[in-house]
Amino acid sequence: MRISSNLLFDLGVSAMQKLQSDMMTTQQKVSSGKRILTPADDPVAASQVLNVSQSMSANAQYGTNDDYASSAMNLEDTTLASVGQVVQDIKTQLIYAGNGSLTNANRQALAEEVKGQFQQLLGLANTKDGNGLYLFSGYKGTTQPFTETSLGAQYWGDQGQRLAQIGPSRQVAVSDSGHDVFERVKTGNGVFVTGAAGGNTGTGVISQGTVVDQTKWSAAGNSKDYKVVFAVDNSGLLPVTTYDIIDNTTGNSMITGNPSAAVAGPTGGPRFPRTYTAGDAIEFKQLPTDPGPLPPAWDLGVSISVDGAPTGSPTIGASPPTGVDTFTVKASTSESLFATIKQAIDAMNTPINNATDSATFSNKLNSAIASLTNGLDNILTVRGGLGARMKEVDAVKANGENLNQLYTQQISQLQDLDYAKAISDLTQQQMQLDAAQKSFLKVTGLSLFNYIGG
Amino acid sequence: MGNGLYNIGVSGLQAAQYGLMTTEHNISNANTPGYHRQQIVQTAAAGQFSGAGFVGQGVDVNNITRSYNEFLDNQVQQADAQSNYLQTYSNQIGQINNMLADTSTGLSPAMQDFFTAVNGVATNPTSVPARQAMISSGQSLVASFHVLDQRLTEIRDGVNGQVTSLVGLINSYSQQLAQINQKINDAGTGSTGQQLPNDLFDQRDYLVSQLNQQVGVTVTKQDNGVYNVFIGKGHPLVLGAQSYSLQATPSSADQQTLEVSYAFGNNTVPIDSTSLQGGKLGGLLAFRTEALDPAQNQLGRIAVGLAATFNAQQHLGMDLNNQFGADFFSGINSLTTPKSIPNKFNTGAATTAVTIGDASKLTADDYSLTYSGGSWSLTDITTSKPVSMSGAGTVASPFVADGLSIVIGGGAPNNGDSFLIQPTRNGARDIGVSLSDPAKIAAASPISTGVGTANTGSGQISDGQVFDTSSAGSGAVAFAQPNGGALTPPLLIKFTSATTYDILDNTNPAAPVPLAPAVTAQPYDPVNGTVVSYPVGAPTPAFQVKLSGQPQTNDTFTVDYNTTGVSDGRNALAEAGLQTKPTLVNGTTNYAGTYSLLVGEIGNKTREIQVTSQAQSIVLQQTQSQQQSFSGVNLDEEAANLVRYQQAYQAAGKMIQVASTLFDTLLSIK
Repeated sequence: MRISSNLLFDLGVSAMQKLQSDMMTTQQKVSSGKRILTPADDPVAASQVLNVSQSMSANAQYGTNDDYASSAMNLEDTTLASVGQVVQDIKTQLIYAGNGSLTNANRQALAEEVKGQFQQLLGLANTKDGNGLYLFSGYKGTTQPFTETSLGAQYWGDQGQRLAQIGPSRQVAVSDSGHDVFERVKTGNGVFVTGAAGGNTGTGVISQGTVVDQTKWSAAGNSKDYKVVFAVDNSGLLPVTTYDIIDNTTGNSMITGNPSAAVAGPTGGPRFPRTYTAGDAIEFKQLPTDPGPLPPAWDLGVSISVDGAPTGSPTIGASPPTGVDTFTVKASTSESLFATIKQAIDAMNTPINNATDSATFSNKLNSAIASLTNGLDNILTVRGGLGARMKEVDAVKANGENLNQLYTQQISQLQDLDYAKAISDLTQQQMQLDAAQKSFLKVTGLSLFNYIGG
Repeated sequence: MGNGLYNIGVSGLQAAQYGLMTTEHNISNANTPGYHRQQIVQTAAAGQFSGAGFVGQGVDVNNITRSYNEFLDNQVQQADAQSNYLQTYSNQIGQINNMLADTSTGLSPAMQDFFTAVNGVATNPTSVPARQAMISSGQSLVASFHVLDQRLTEIRDGVNGQVTSLVGLINSYSQQLAQINQKINDAGTGSTGQQLPNDLFDQRDYLVSQLNQQVGVTVTKQDNGVYNVFIGKGHPLVLGAQSYSLQATPSSADQQTLEVSYAFGNNTVPIDSTSLQGGKLGGLLAFRTEALDPAQNQLGRIAVGLAATFNAQQHLGMDLNNQFGADFFSGINSLTTPKSIPNKFNTGAATTAVTIGDASKLTADDYSLTYSGGSWSLTDITTSKPVSMSGAGTVASPFVADGLSIVIGGGAPNNGDSFLIQPTRNGARDIGVSLSDPAKIAAASPISTGVGTANTGSGQISDGQVFDTSSAGSGAVAFAQPNGGALTPPLLIKFTSATTYDILDNTNPAAPVPLAPAVTAQPYDPVNGTVVSYPVGAPTPAFQVKLSGQPQTNDTFTVDYNTTGVSDGRNALAEAGLQTKPTLVNGTTNYAGTYSLLVGEIGNKTREIQVTSQAQSIVLQQTQSQQQSFSGVNLDEEAANLVRYQQAYQAAGKMIQVASTLFDTLLSIK
């Protein structure tokens, strides 16, 4: 085959150019440490690197958010701990106030002390965070959540919980609203609340009651609005105290199923269907001892007790009965912690002059203590939820750090250069170029013209 | 006899001289491009009859031929055209490839920075510095869109410039070829037996191969050695001594794009760019339609998609002034840069207004909207497929297709009128940040919910989700318009039993009144909870809240405007969530995913072209070697020929000397 002399040069030069350009690419890879210099070098890996680095950046952002969430929740946790302490202290004072040996002056002094604690609690409820935002005002961070009123405190915030994005699909609440912490305290025992009517003249003190069967209380058809009325029959040798349980929505006696009215006893005095013994359970269900004719069997699943000596002298046959000591049993509602404390303070400031006053005070104090206990439980529940969320954030953060390592590794695998291979490539290319240059000189140096003439 | 000897010697001398001259011509032109090796064709002269038979009469040089093999030369030309095509394509796409290679300063980090700033606002909604940082990083994100788009526009301008200069070059080559044709014709090579003007042929062939490097041409050879050259689908470029010129003219559909036209006197007829294949021009045009347009459209789609989805989320939120959020990004439906361009040749008076309706459905394609036979039809130019449109093209019911909303206005259209629609071409150029007041970032959600304090049940109400705050949709019923600021009216959800609830107007919380029309006795599912949509019965609700747990009779839940909810970052969280939410490409991928799609596509295309280009250059090298081994000059061979003809010359000279000696011998006979 004949060779064109011109082509000999062209081919030699283009071969050397290609080698040089290869060497330059390898050198660039070595100096940048990257396997992919442009997307064309490995289109799939190049676009994957973009995706992974986006995930990595989002993950780093979640890490920052985790830190923010942790610090916000830590502050709330510390504040809630103080709140719990203050409420606990107030409860202790109230229990002490129930001590019968205290004088009116003693109780008023205690009331002053509780007032101070009330202010302390109000201060805690209005705590600000590092950014000057109120901790417990929900979304309304710049609005002071609580201001004192004659009935307790008014809440100006809302029920929003501030959120932080701690993971790709997880938002966590980093705050609790003042409403949830201070305003939603269940009254009574949490299921129902007992109370004494203001006009009671006896010395009956009602307990907070117990729930025997929650499902029965929650069953449909339960009006959850009852009262227990008392009558004292003084016509016999010994006074006989009787009571009736009345459904306020119908005015009917639960025990007889008919409109409640006192009937004449054997000695002509007013009597209700059941006989009262101080301190014994008043069960909200049909008892075998109930006088007939019996209405259909009923059971509300709760029971209360009344201590002391309630009184009452209803007119026989009058329905509804009047002139009777009345105690209420209703479904628990929510109450502000501040209102509860305010009521307790008011009760302590009211002088006790007789047994009736004492019973009224006991009833008020008992319900306040019950509410405070619920408030304390509520604070613990909020703290418990907070603790769980803090734990979750910690777990997510640890997970995020692992992920970060994984992403770094993934990106490195996708785009980092295998130095050993690159250096060996470079050496090989260098050798090749060297050989190409030397052989080019040799081949092109040969010419017949060198030997002609001379 | 003596005369005969002389004659033979002289013929030998002449032949050797021709041989030497041709060899020297070869040596001199060893490096001349397009040169074909020449050689003399010598034959023994016809003998003279004598009694002894035919006596040789020396040598004749019949012809000087060039080593030309039409097949080999054609092969080289084709390979060369293809190689130039790929080389040009590869050089051009390499620019985009390199532009996307820089991962540290490209779009990706700017996007990440922006969403980091959005997260900053979400975690700290009241912080003005955090809000300012979000605006600033939004501006740098926009700037990186601009930088990329600017670079692509520069490349586009470069393509236009190169098209113009290539057209000039093609015109100049075709003129030269016409002149050579004339010369070949003048040299009169028509009938056989006449001598061929080898070097003119070389020039002609060389011009054709040069032309082929610019654009693929087809050649038909005439009997007299004249070439006729055609371009595209049979447009004559050179016919004999006549050349025709091309022109780079703005496309009738898009004045920004230069296309190649065929000039007839003062008229120009555009040549379908898909028919211009091969050569540098073919490479440029293919690059423009296959790589540049899609790349700029893809980038635009990210910009438009980001702006549209982010703005939509802004509208669902509430700013520090208790108003609905304003647009964060500007430019998606900019009126100053319409997305549809009327064809230059339109004769009707119709106009079109194209807006982006649903960014998630946007493609990266261009469209052509054509009026014919009384109706409008839409064609996807990239895929050449028709796209079905719903609607009537009016303001009330616009044509809707692929996320676009098209309204036809103006006067009556004529058959054949068309509009070029480029929904995303300028997206990356036009995007901007329109928000400057940090307070106007809508970090909060406009509604807040609450549980009644006196509730006895365990019912809960969710934070609620807002879907529509617009004055055109159901937002008009729910919110004060146009800027928000209140819920009209605030709502109270009141349970009338454990499984039913009413929705009341809570404008006066002391005495809620029924809504008009009243919404009563709605069913509630105590097991799974119930989603309450407002307005009740609207196809798309303004907002929804979810009730769960076990509420009791008379339990209440409130939904109110989130007035002064400055610490609420819910909407900012939703905005931050857009970073990873699949909002584009029919809801299959997020912004960064769409960008990596672009990077992947350009990377793949570049790689494909680079690999084919390398393969093609090897093909070219091989065909060139073959052609050169046939037609090229080997200097050693020529050196040998030099010696050969020198010796022949010397021998012929010796012959004359012998003849002379013989003559002297005769003369010396006395």
